[in-house]
Amino acid sequence: MGEVIVITSGKGGVGKTTTTANIGTGLAVLGKKVVLVDTDIGLRNLDVVMGLENRIVYDLVDVVEGTCRLKQALIKDKRYEGLYLLPAAQTRDKNAVTPKQMIWLCNELREEFDYILIDCPAGIEQGFKNAIAGADRAIVVTTPEVSAVRDADRIIGLLEAQEIRNPRLIINRVRPDMVKRGDMMSIEDIVDILAIKLIGVVPDDENIIISTNRGEPAVTDNKSLAGQAYRNITRRVMGEDVPLMDLNVPAGLLSKMKKLFGFKSA
Amino acid sequence: MVLGDVNPGAEIIATGNVVVLGTLRGLVHAGAGGDKDAFVYALKLLPTQIRIAEAIARMPEEHIPDDGLIRPEMATARAGKIIVEQL
Repeated sequence: MGEVIVITSGKGGVGKTTTTANIGTGLAVLGKKVVLVDTDIGLRNLDVVMGLENRIVYDLVDVVEGTCRLKQALIKDKRYEGLYLLPAAQTRDKNAVTPKQMIWLCNELREEFDYILIDCPAGIEQGFKNAIAGADRAIVVTTPEVSAVRDADRIIGLLEAQEIRNPRLIINRVRPDMVKRGDMMSIEDIVDILAIKLIGVVPDDENIIISTNRGEPAVTDNKSLAGQAYRNITRRVMGEDVPLMDLNVPAGLLSKMKKLFGFKSA
Repeated sequence: MVLGDVNPGAEIIATGNVVVLGTLRGLVHAGAGGDKDAFVYALKLLPTQIRIAEAIARMPEEHIPDDGLIRPEMATARAGKIIVEQL
């Protein structure tokens, strides 16, 4: 029986879709059978980030309306064994699906898959309600910004009202240099405010933009720091205890020399 | 008939033919009611997915260079396969 995990945030643009794509791919690489479900109906992105947009024939709305069978809508990712995508519809809106239909869908998917990752849209309206309806667990994504943390706080409250207890936190797009200068909230500050357990910290990484544009999740890129963070998060999702990565890039010889001569290190 | 470009993410669905006087980058479905003789015509045919009646096809994986030249092309279905020809 599979586990349904919803990845949500409240605030838009903090990295829910990127996180869904990377954790999903990471789990598949480790041998699990995974399905990614995009519930952002009308503004679908998960297919683009996974590089599977051209292969969409049927979508989530077709499945709940009975236009096609569930199997027909699932897109098998040819790069990673065991990884499937159920895309959202692009030309409908979030009222095309009800929470009851989502619960039915999640029950169907639980029979076939080890992990069902639900990419939740931004907001707290119908899209959010649909996404959390069938979920067993939740991961809340935030960035180290006051506005994002504020929204995440609200979302945690709404999750508990829906009886999804003990959500886990991912802090995304952390810039250790800014944290050191005091210009950015620290991990401790955020965990203090939100009071939920941390499941991972992902550093701000240019490779993410490149990977989402190309449709190749960064979790498979050995040179990406964010990719390494997502690999660690994937293992924590499976229950393993992985220590947090040290995000401070070690000072190279050049920056040590710069410090000697009084230049500020980059 | 569409006067202008169609971006990726957009869908054009017609029971008849589809003519785009611009660049077609989205999803196009001509002959949506089952008309196998429907065609798709565009000044630049670069759809994410093209469907004519029951046939479906994607663009080939090799990236076709977008050199700004207008190359009108027409897509038709023959024996269930989608053929693209330059006019």
